[in-house]
Amino acid sequence: MSTLMTNRMLLPARDTRALLVKWIVALLVPVAVFTFVWSGEEIVNAVISPGTAGPNLPTDPVSLIQSAIFIALFYLAVIVLAGYLVAADSGRRGMLSLWLDVLIFALLPLFLVMNIGLIIGLAACVVIWAVYFFARNFVRKARHYTPPLALPSLGLLDAEQRAILMGRAIAGGFWFATAFAIVWLIADLVYFFTGSLPPQLLIWVVIRTLLLPVAGYFLGRLAGVLALRRTLSAHANGNGNGGDATNESTRRISKRQQLQVLSATRVREEAKDLVPNDLPLRSSGAQRFYLILLVAFVLFYPILDPFLFGFGTDGRLASFGDAGRYVILALGLNIVVGFAGLLDLGYVAFFAIGCYVWGMIGSTQLTNVLNVAPIDPHILSWLFWPMLLGAALVAAFFGVILGAPTLRLRGDYLAIVTLGFGEIVPIVLLELDKYTNGTNGIVGVQSPAFFGIDWSIITPAPYYYLILALIALSIFANIRLRDSRLGRAWIAIREDEIAAASSGVNLVNTKLFAFGAGAFFSGVAGAYYAAKLGGASPDNFSFNDSVIYLAMVVIGGIGSIPGVIVGALVVYSINELILAQLDTLASDPTNFMFFVRSAIVHVIPGFTFGNIRNLLFGIVLVVIMIFRPEGLIPSARRRRELRASTEEAPEMGSLDVMPGTPGFETEVRVE
Amino acid sequence: MALFLQILVVGLTTGAIYALIALGYTMVYGIIELINFAHGDIFMIGTFVSIAIFGLLGIGTNSQPTGWWLVAVLVITCLGAMLACAVLGVVIERVAYRPLRNSPRIAPLISAIGVSLILEDVGKLWKGIEYITFPQIFPDKDIRLGPITISTVDILVIVVAVILMIALQWMVTSTRTGRAMRAVAQDREAAALMGVNVNRIIAITFFIGAALAGAAGFIYGLKYGETIFFIGFQLGLVAFTAAVLGGIGNLVGAMLGGVLIGVIESLSTLIPDSVLPHGGAAWHLAIVFAILILILVFRPAGLLGQQLPEKV
Repeated sequence: MSTLMTNRMLLPARDTRALLVKWIVALLVPVAVFTFVWSGEEIVNAVISPGTAGPNLPTDPVSLIQSAIFIALFYLAVIVLAGYLVAADSGRRGMLSLWLDVLIFALLPLFLVMNIGLIIGLAACVVIWAVYFFARNFVRKARHYTPPLALPSLGLLDAEQRAILMGRAIAGGFWFATAFAIVWLIADLVYFFTGSLPPQLLIWVVIRTLLLPVAGYFLGRLAGVLALRRTLSAHANGNGNGGDATNESTRRISKRQQLQVLSATRVREEAKDLVPNDLPLRSSGAQRFYLILLVAFVLFYPILDPFLFGFGTDGRLASFGDAGRYVILALGLNIVVGFAGLLDLGYVAFFAIGCYVWGMIGSTQLTNVLNVAPIDPHILSWLFWPMLLGAALVAAFFGVILGAPTLRLRGDYLAIVTLGFGEIVPIVLLELDKYTNGTNGIVGVQSPAFFGIDWSIITPAPYYYLILALIALSIFANIRLRDSRLGRAWIAIREDEIAAASSGVNLVNTKLFAFGAGAFFSGVAGAYYAAKLGGASPDNFSFNDSVIYLAMVVIGGIGSIPGVIVGALVVYSINELILAQLDTLASDPTNFMFFVRSAIVHVIPGFTFGNIRNLLFGIVLVVIMIFRPEGLIPSARRRRELRASTEEAPEMGSLDVMPGTPGFETEVRVE
Repeated sequence: MALFLQILVVGLTTGAIYALIALGYTMVYGIIELINFAHGDIFMIGTFVSIAIFGLLGIGTNSQPTGWWLVAVLVITCLGAMLACAVLGVVIERVAYRPLRNSPRIAPLISAIGVSLILEDVGKLWKGIEYITFPQIFPDKDIRLGPITISTVDILVIVVAVILMIALQWMVTSTRTGRAMRAVAQDREAAALMGVNVNRIIAITFFIGAALAGAAGFIYGLKYGETIFFIGFQLGLVAFTAAVLGGIGNLVGAMLGGVLIGVIESLSTLIPDSVLPHGGAAWHLAIVFAILILILVFRPAGLLGQQLPEKV
């Protein structure tokens, strides 16, 4: 068997060769651009031989280890992805259309981000993608294109087909790694002969060229295993195929997946997961690799930033730290608005409470008010960690209190009452200035302390990692909440209160829990914000902020966790980054934006890009509500609710006919 | 006692303005069950349009028209502001609310918030971020009626408000269109079956409600003399409280609620420093919201509304 495998690998069959060409070119080009044009190689060289790194790049051991981990993760994940995609290809997607997709969705962002900065580059990408979708749909309608259904290709795989799949995966991994190694070798030889490659690195070049294909073989194997886990396999027939452990596990997998196939209401969504899916952007199998790459990028961003973007790392890290608090706020509001369906327009009140709790305790304010001796600042810094929880609990308590009067109200009235609270709380904080220092706000709030890290309001990197940890915890908590009994109770309340109450859901407790849980997360964000800003003042909290938080949830996708994260980042970029950057660009007379702004100022005197922020938000909210109410990344449930199903549902055969056999797709229509 | 009466009079004038805005809220809610967040901003646009019309008529901050010309200016400006706001209201309904008429309730609510944001920024772009002064063209004299002093502007405010409210009440009770509006508010489908053009009636409702807000903007500018792009939000919220207090969906209730809220607001200025820091005046928004919350908790149908059971 293994000799057969080797032959097949080195001289793949003709159709496999076509697949290999298709996928290797598709993946190699972006990876090569990243490595050679956007300093991927620079990172590797800095790790291997720190002395040859450029002047502004970090060379301390911790940074080197972090860079090494990132590079290893990145390249290994890409090789496995190559193997997976080659294995998962079902031939429904042409080579050229795939390459066009890679061009638009992978290469274009790389180039734009490299040349015009991360945020504006991504914003430009989004605009171009929207135009591309529109144009593509238009062209497709004109040519009467029908997308291939996932279901017809749902087939059972017998042992030989599984072997072919595994062979393809191994071939994909191996040949991708080899091709990449060869390209890199050639590039490095060119560098060497033009003198830009230090000779010490030659040894590394040779090692790498030999190591990559070997790694490719094993990673391809791993990819094959991952791809096979996502397929259906035949019942073990009576004789068995040499009944051993692998057969056992395949039998177990296939039964579970067969049940999923036969669940008629979810067949179309599940089909995406069941078949090896070769639409690379939507394949949920490939999506886990994209997630790994994204998490690695985000986690190691402070190290990579000098390589990728040059100067200004600190400013960028600080602004991402700020963006993080929006994410947590969006997650919290998602619980109230998204899961439980209680439209909360006063969410900023809980955020303010969280800020003021840590603000008062973490500074001399409380000790001034109570007339006790101030606590030593070092101890005060350590108090941040328990107070993170404390502020969250206080905010949750107030959430319950403020939610209590609203229990009997319907959607619109609830919105107004919460809006009222959102107005009252900042007024209270402003006017009770014996305790809260009124308009001046609290100053001198301590930053947190951690072992061995020098931490103050001007060091952005520790705050960046802190907010990442908080976001990870919040996402975990949210997912667990959503999938728990409480989460289902919230969804039941959202859909129909009376029916939920009739089914035994305790309305009062569940709603109060929703308010409390939502307020909890905003308390966490509040404490973080007070520490990062070093102070808390009532000017930071207004109804405008509540609207922004609501916009985050709505734009991202009500009730969907990845959706609100994306929504928070989008809204934050529009709010703080894009408009401000457009303004700075427009004040530079040599820039294109300068002319645009001058032209507009002739008509509207008061115009600056910062001024039209609310206008943009308003237009976006109205447009999204009319055209895409489920948001950018909708939760699956929401998409079913808010859109009448306009696409043809796949026909499914009667429920005791196995998929793949002839009579399968004839009778039952899926609603 | 004299102080109390004086406060009452002050409350009446502010209450009249609140009542006009509250009527718009209550009419829209009665007919399509939507809280029109943008209504307060229509009021703000009304003030801006009034200033613009004054400018067109050549009235600066220092000119003093007299006699018939003064009356003509007032009438033209008032009608102009009402018309402009009415058109704006109809356009908003057509663009932002009608496509969402069959969506779950959260969609038009968020759309309304979006429209409110747009209008605020339009105001900001149009007239900038500073306070804009209103031409003080109405002769402002104080008249003493026994223990209380009332200014002529206040009388004008109350007179205009009362005229408009009477006209509205007449229209709703005695004309065909008014009857159609009440029918659509009661049961939209049955009204359609009876031959009422529901879309047109809803548009007319928005037209009238926004016109009233425009008139409110005009008299607000005359009384307070200055305006800025964010007054719509706060005043709108207080007016909404008034509508809820009186019983939302009920026109007389909105008028009553408006006056009551005006009086309560003026009474809150009497609260001394010892009870609330900085005196009651700084807390008046908080007091109004506290009232709103209390009404919604204890009597959600408002003073004049009927308690309707929620049907499954």
